[in-house]
Amino acid sequence: MSTIALSINNKAIGPIETSDDVMMIEFLHEHLNMTGTKFGCGVGVCHACTVIVDNEDGTSESVRTCINGVSRFNGKKIRTIEGHAKENEFGEIIKLSPVQETFIENFSFQCGWCTSGFVNETTVLVEKLKLMPIRVNEIETVIEKALGDHVCRCTGYVKYYKAVKELILSTEGLTRP
Amino acid sequence: MKMNVNLLKLSALFLALPLTANATENELVEQGKYLAKLGDCTACHTIDEGQANGGGLPFTTPFGIVYSTNISSDEEFGIGHYSLEDFTDAMRDGIAPKGNLYPAMPYTSYHLLKDHDIEALYRYFMSTKPVKQENRDNDLMFPTNIRMGLKAWNLVNHDSKVFEANADKSEKWNRGSYIVNGLGHCGECHTPRDVMFAMDQSRHFEGELIGGAEASDITPKELNRQGWTKQDLDDVLRKGYSRKGTVFAGMYPVVFHSFSHLTKDDMSAVTSYLLDNDGEVAAKSDTFNGHDKSDPGYDLYKGYCAGCHGINGEGKPNVSPALIANATIDKAIPINTLSVMLNGVEEQRYSHTHGFYAMPSYRDTLNVKQLTELTNYIRKVWTKQPSDLTESQVQEWVDKIEDSIADAAH
Repeated sequence: MSTIALSINNKAIGPIETSDDVMMIEFLHEHLNMTGTKFGCGVGVCHACTVIVDNEDGTSESVRTCINGVSRFNGKKIRTIEGHAKENEFGEIIKLSPVQETFIENFSFQCGWCTSGFVNETTVLVEKLKLMPIRVNEIETVIEKALGDHVCRCTGYVKYYKAVKELILSTEGLTRP
Repeated sequence: MKMNVNLLKLSALFLALPLTANATENELVEQGKYLAKLGDCTACHTIDEGQANGGGLPFTTPFGIVYSTNISSDEEFGIGHYSLEDFTDAMRDGIAPKGNLYPAMPYTSYHLLKDHDIEALYRYFMSTKPVKQENRDNDLMFPTNIRMGLKAWNLVNHDSKVFEANADKSEKWNRGSYIVNGLGHCGECHTPRDVMFAMDQSRHFEGELIGGAEASDITPKELNRQGWTKQDLDDVLRKGYSRKGTVFAGMYPVVFHSFSHLTKDDMSAVTSYLLDNDGEVAAKSDTFNGHDKSDPGYDLYKGYCAGCHGINGEGKPNVSPALIANATIDKAIPINTLSVMLNGVEEQRYSHTHGFYAMPSYRDTLNVKQLTELTNYIRKVWTKQPSDLTESQVQEWVDKIEDSIADAAH
């Protein structure tokens, strides 16, 4: 058995005992009933199951939960799709994050299976750009590098890319002259 | 009537002559086409999405960049103007009509080729589609940019001897040796280089770090110690995966373009030669020593590796190789275990139904302490290798991997 204790969306979880071979996505679904993170290919290819890990040094990284066991996340701070929007005291969503907003405005979602991965990866990207702004002519290359591994079987890539580009251009401090 | 029959016979003879000549020429071209696959010529002489044999692929060497040349039949940019003698000199001695070739072209192995095979290759290349693509100038530092120096290098380091069979060995073993050491040019990566950057034949096939990964020790001694059977070698060279693990880094294109095309007989000769055994080789039992849940490596294995390689190292078909019986982790010096953790492994596709997904790079995720714990743990569970590697040893190997030059030529 493995024991895991971690922070998910700023909420302390555990310690909870799991089997040794439990992947993080199973832990989220089966132990915590957090089903917003989607299980896609199960072999680390589609990136639908991506969550955010916030490291102690202030950096964040996107990690796939279908191929990483719970022990990789033990003691870590993670963010999932459930943690982006602001909620009121009744648990009702009152405001989406800018990343979620831009995807909705651009009607980027179709079936929605890959959306949690896209939202998390884009959030990591935007936070990185706040620390290290890029030139406008680099935007498309940077988006491709960050999101190129995410698979959308509805092939909504154009709308995702358009949304992310708009967000980068319209958010102060993400680009530089 | 009799005369007519003779006339018919005579006509048939005249008709048959050019046909027979063509058949011989075609046969030679076909043989050359097969031999070119054994030599993996197109892989080095073609850029990504470029026309086959058009050249231009860069090879980073300690002395600068060498670009492969156009070896299509084009008379202006390729080798269409070569005579058979020119081609033979280039293959055997690295001497092209325009001057000496850099030994990135493995004439240092191809010299073993028999005249007939060189002629077949020549006929094949003369039949290839001409590619109108100009050669790129090499970008080499002084004095290696002076081709005259290669004459001196050849004088000291190059032996242009044609293959001679070892009378003490079987015909099959000799065929294997001819393929592996000649067109296969395996030693160019798998044999360590000496101070002159020539293959050190006293350490034939003992392995060399190249482009961030080690071209493994493929001596019969090491392959037999690791428990490779002929079927295992046949599998790994033909399909890229086997009971003993998969190929990766520079060996993937070699399997894809070259070894996967070997005939059954030639592959059997290659495996007999590599294991130095004409008969069957019995498989050794797999090593699985069980998990040690108190070891810090166990948590790392569960967290980072088990998702693809399985909690007990069983792997996933068409996704990731098993660690049970895996030869990559069963090495005294774990360069390649560390190499795959640092560099990851690129996706490999052999056909629509057969391939492996990419392994992520953990360069920015695992520190040296974690790499050491994980490497020791993997050795402890799935090999008979000692699991007492220190952080300073691992750091030294990591530095070597990082320093090894990407895309180094042969």
